[in-house]
Amino acid sequence: MAAVTHQAQAIELSGSRSVEAASDHELLAAIRDGDEVAFQEIVRRYRNPITNFVHRMLDDYDRSVELAQETFIRVYTSASRYQANYSFSTYIYRIATNLAISELRRRKRRKMVSLFSPFTNDDGEAIELDPPDLKMLQDETLIANERRSAVARAITSLPQKYRAAIVLRDVEGLSYDQIAETLKLSEGTVKSRINRARNLLKEKLSAYM
Amino acid sequence: MMGCNYIKKLIDEADKSDLLSFEVNQHIGRCGDCERFANERAGLRKLLASETRVSVPMNFDAMLKARLAEVKARSAFSWLSSAGYLRLGAATAGLVIMIFAAQYAGLFSDRSNGSASKAVATVPPTAPPTFNPAAPPIIDRAAVTAAPTVPKVREYYSRNSRGGRADVVARGRTTPGGYFTAEDGGVVLVRGRNGEMDVPMPTVSVGAQPLLYVSAGQRAVRNAGNSF
Repeated sequence: MAAVTHQAQAIELSGSRSVEAASDHELLAAIRDGDEVAFQEIVRRYRNPITNFVHRMLDDYDRSVELAQETFIRVYTSASRYQANYSFSTYIYRIATNLAISELRRRKRRKMVSLFSPFTNDDGEAIELDPPDLKMLQDETLIANERRSAVARAITSLPQKYRAAIVLRDVEGLSYDQIAETLKLSEGTVKSRINRARNLLKEKLSAYM
Repeated sequence: MMGCNYIKKLIDEADKSDLLSFEVNQHIGRCGDCERFANERAGLRKLLASETRVSVPMNFDAMLKARLAEVKARSAFSWLSSAGYLRLGAATAGLVIMIFAAQYAGLFSDRSNGSASKAVATVPPTAPPTFNPAAPPIIDRAAVTAAPTVPKVREYYSRNSRGGRADVVARGRTTPGGYFTAEDGGVVLVRGRNGEMDVPMPTVSVGAQPLLYVSAGQRAVRNAGNSF
């Protein structure tokens, strides 16, 4: 794909066109010129998907919000270095992925032990501890909550390299080539990782399928 | 005829579970294992996609704006950050080290008279043996060479390892009426800061001791500082 220059995409967003109609690349070109309205539009478009993605990676809502904000700050501060070779969604998901992976590594260094997987088997793999809840399930809401927490636990128990790929694919709905660009991997590697992640999730979530 | 592994790969890589090709659907209709695999994958996708998506809090934009303003302010004064201080401190330390190294190597001393500093840093015998810091004695090389009045004083000169400084070592008896007063058999080092021609005052050190000022003939000694 030919490189698209910022100059060619620079438009006057304050003119007849509204920011809602502008493409992501046009908004980035405007942000580079200091347009705060364009930045607000980018935030409006991506704040929920990015927060949701990071939340699926970390299973920590407050930290997810902070990292989503950090993602937008990096978009703003590095707008001048933005290369429009790929879609902006790939670019911003890459930033969010890197932040989430850094957070996971930091947590790993701190040796944060999940209450649900404090034990390992002979192979060193985490064994999920899922103590039975003796309380009776009252209604569908409780069932849904239980299923949701089980899925969140299953995703966060995945190895880091599988987690980003499966969340981008099955939660965020990105295509394989977009995931490959986001994670800077080959498409074959992405497909392999997603397949491995699904196999692991199938074992963990068989009771809910 | 496609194999089961290839069919499973196509099922797994399909964008949506219901968008499988005709050949794959045909194979699934005949193969129970592949049909089970397709159902598992469809169920898993549905389970993951059914997760409630979280939304940002109400104050997300306000928080982001505040953080962005903080980042802007920080970048405006980035040179005052700790990294900036570290750079400034490192540069200052480097400069100080260079100055000390240059001083140690004698780069600031006058080397023009170093090789020719064979003259004796002394004064004529008639000079009064008083010390006046404000008016250091003027060395008269012609008078020194013309009047060999100190025949018993053995003097030699050496350039120390630091370079630049010429040490005058006088052995033997006291020079009559001169600046050097030493006991017999002692060693007196006369150290001129800029060579013998520019000695501002008679400075004497004994061995490696701090510099002493010796008032000629009066044995009045006072500490004049340390030149080492």
